[in-house]
Amino acid sequence: MNALVAFLSDLTGLEGVLPLSMAYAVCIGSLLGFITVYAMFAIWMERKVAAHMQVRYGPMETGGWHGWAQSVADALKLLFKEDIFPSQANKFLFAIAPAVVFCGVFAGFIVIPFAAGIQIASLNLGVFFLISIAAVEVIGVIMAGWASNSKYSLFGAVREAAQVVSYELPSATALIGPILIVGSFQLGDFNTYQANHGWLILHNPFMPVAALCFFISSLAGCKRAPFDLPEAESELVSGFHTEYSGMRFSFFFLEEYASMFVASVLMATLFFGGTTLPFNIGDIGNWATYAERAAAGEPSVISGIGDFLRTHLGIVVLLLKTFFFIFIQMWLRWTLPRLRVDQVMALGYKYLLPWGLVTVIGTACFEAFGWGWLPH
Amino acid sequence: MGSIRDYFGNITSALGTTAKGMSVTLRHFTSEPPITVMYPHETKPVPPTYRGMHILEQEKCIDCHLCAKACPVDCIEIEAEHHGRKLEWEKFSIDYKKCIFCEFCIPPCPVDCIHMTSEYEMATDSNDDMVEDLLTWTGLRPEDQAALDGKPTAVQAKKQQESKKGGADKAAQIAAIKARLKKGS
Repeated sequence: MNALVAFLSDLTGLEGVLPLSMAYAVCIGSLLGFITVYAMFAIWMERKVAAHMQVRYGPMETGGWHGWAQSVADALKLLFKEDIFPSQANKFLFAIAPAVVFCGVFAGFIVIPFAAGIQIASLNLGVFFLISIAAVEVIGVIMAGWASNSKYSLFGAVREAAQVVSYELPSATALIGPILIVGSFQLGDFNTYQANHGWLILHNPFMPVAALCFFISSLAGCKRAPFDLPEAESELVSGFHTEYSGMRFSFFFLEEYASMFVASVLMATLFFGGTTLPFNIGDIGNWATYAERAAAGEPSVISGIGDFLRTHLGIVVLLLKTFFFIFIQMWLRWTLPRLRVDQVMALGYKYLLPWGLVTVIGTACFEAFGWGWLPH
Repeated sequence: MGSIRDYFGNITSALGTTAKGMSVTLRHFTSEPPITVMYPHETKPVPPTYRGMHILEQEKCIDCHLCAKACPVDCIEIEAEHHGRKLEWEKFSIDYKKCIFCEFCIPPCPVDCIHMTSEYEMATDSNDDMVEDLLTWTGLRPEDQAALDGKPTAVQAKKQQESKKGGADKAAQIAAIKARLKKGS
């Protein structure tokens, strides 16, 4: 962000607030574009994955090659659809709920470390920010359910409210382990650490458990099957967004896929090496080299094409890992049936939370005493 | 309530059954080819006893109206003028809005001139188009119809086809239908 502001300031010769606001506009625009294109791809991918798991083809006609333009066509259709307000709805809350939901997950994107230097805000409390800003989405969901003035929407919202208390705690406790090991909340530091010390999932025996706990609770956080209680197509029409149509509906859709992306990026960055390859092959995506150069006072200097590639291939590595986890989310969705409300609660409180605490204590002991602490 | 054994049993069974289910879906995803028939591009073969749209051998028809009388829904309309033994055809139409594809019109025919084909693609843009005049309709798909251009009657087409021994067309279809009917009787 600072580098972008400096670059724009140099480019235009302006000072002060103007280059800053231009930089904001550039960041917001590129993120919106990225999310839209990604969501279209992910929706197409979801339909294809679902279809092939059910031994059928999925979209095949639109756009020629395997229906690649199906999502584009759907998005265009949604743009032109009528924006319906139920007559008994609370107009104001109904109108802003999709924006609140989308903002919650959109704000999460600003701390995502795509590659060294490609991170909009390198917050010192990145992980913390990501978890807490994602909870804003829940407020929007409850808003939507309440404002719709429909029993199905309200049921969906109530279920979301019940679900949030059972998944937020386990997901937060599962993340404490990696934070303890790295000793930082900053997401970039996870990449540096894992480039130097290997992936965190292999760091100690508690990390796979923590990764599993985080993955399961992130599924619930994304309202993905088997935790899609707030939407629950078979019981609640489509849950909290039953009454929405057109563009407002598509914002809920965007939000769902964007939060899948955030959860998968977090999974990849915190447990699976982020932008680095296993055993740090080729030193790809190592943030240290960039940080060292930044410390030497030349943040945007690219010494050669090799260095450039080494830094920026990290994006490709991270996206590959992210899409792998998104694929697993889809895979699970088309495998498992939906859980009951009480089963979600039991899973959260009786299984994920204790095991998350076990990973916290175990990792802390491991950090303090090393392997010698464990029976061997 | 639940013992320690139940607790760990739940964890292992949950992980185990999820892994089993996921292996099943992954096997479908990776190794089983889709069973979908991409309908407009390819079609499934219909059974030989399929009752689709009708086809008429105009030269054999004697305008006896037995098929129209047999029809339980009165969907067949026949109009022809008799000039001695010659017939001047005006209309032999079937209203597919009414037709229930019961095949009751086929057995009464004394000269065996009306048959049912395997054609089922009857979607049209308007109600009027659902009334098919069998004098002009050949009962074949467009590509087969194009191959039959210049062969106005079924019998001529059949004769030509017998000499050529070509692929499926109206005549071959009629022959197949007749063979089936003979077998049945």
